[in-house]
Amino acid sequence: MAKHVGYFPELKRNWWLKNRYFTLYMVREATVLPLVFFIACLLAGLYSLLQGQQSFQGWLQFMQNPITIVINLLALVASLFHAATFFTLFPRVMPLRVGGKAIPAKWIILGQWFGVLLVMVLFAWVFGRGV
Amino acid sequence: MTTKRLSIQRYLPEQSKTPFWQEFEVPFDDSTSILEALNHIKEDMDGSLSYRWSCRMAICGSCGVMVNGEPKLGCKSFLREYPGTISIEPLAHFPVQKDLIIDMEIFLEHLAAVQPYLINDSQDSNQTHKQTPAQLAKYLTFSDCINCGLCYSACPQFGLNPEFLGPAALTLAHRYNLDSRDQGKAQRMVQLNREEGVWTCTFVGYCSEVCPKSVDPAAAVNQGKVESAKDLLINLFKR
Ligand code: SF4
Ligand code: FES
Repeated sequence: MAKHVGYFPELKRNWWLKNRYFTLYMVREATVLPLVFFIACLLAGLYSLLQGQQSFQGWLQFMQNPITIVINLLALVASLFHAATFFTLFPRVMPLRVGGKAIPAKWIILGQWFGVLLVMVLFAWVFGRGV
Repeated sequence: MTTKRLSIQRYLPEQSKTPFWQEFEVPFDDSTSILEALNHIKEDMDGSLSYRWSCRMAICGSCGVMVNGEPKLGCKSFLREYPGTISIEPLAHFPVQKDLIIDMEIFLEHLAAVQPYLINDSQDSNQTHKQTPAQLAKYLTFSDCINCGLCYSACPQFGLNPEFLGPAALTLAHRYNLDSRDQGKAQRMVQLNREEGVWTCTFVGYCSEVCPKSVDPAAAVNQGKVESAKDLLINLFKR
């Protein structure tokens, strides 16, 4: 058949606003933004630690700024949200089998959250002791 | 008899270069499918309306259209599911030839590119190949695809770059790679490993949402990424 192509509707820049599913996907991808800020904070902290006490005090003050706290809280919520999406997708990407039987996705998802809890408890214990 | 308004995107290349919308008021009851409504329009109201269909039972995969912006099989969606005016457009991300008829050429090319058939050159390849239920279970859901193309209309990555092999083709590749009777994985990995292979996918996941046969192409494509990563690593050490 002759390659007669009528018209080809092009994807507009705002394609992701037209469908709820795509918007949610973009939100998931955008969770990286506050995380970048959080990592920048950490790196700045390390750097100022090397610069000496005065600089470190300045960094501590910056971290106590309400705006910094709000953005970092946002980063926490964003990463938890991203983790939730990742955890639900994981059993589909890596279906696990034990003795030829598929492990139910629910268990794998729960297992991952349990891992998060474990890490949190461990951190609380390690850092809590010093205080 | 109750009626419902259908707003259909028409495109008649011999009359106008741009598509236009046309509304039809069609009678319906609880069992009227979108496809039946289109048939009613063509038979009783406007014989020039063009669209594809064949089986009317979600098997042939030819009746895909956008219903209120979502990729759907016309024969598997019903008027009763939609309050208000229903908008019907040709499947997204494909060139349109006429009315609701799209040019599927690129989709068929992508399917062919992954060699979607058993490749087995071993001596006993003309013998019956036995397969256990457990071996079958590994790929069974991925073999339910009816090539309707809905997942391509659901994939923004395909919309942005039609060279992307896309959900159904990558799923089919994975389906044969998982088949215990097949030996063609090495050949297919070349396609999967490409930039336009699995790595264009960003796991939007909408393809699995719209798939009328619950094939879960998003899972297959992302399992393909794991395979591709393994393949690339192994090749790295082989050299
Ligand atoms: S994977 Fe599903 S949506 Fe995609 S072509 Fe096959 S049946 Fe259609
Ligand atoms: S007419 Fe065959 S799938 Fe709808």
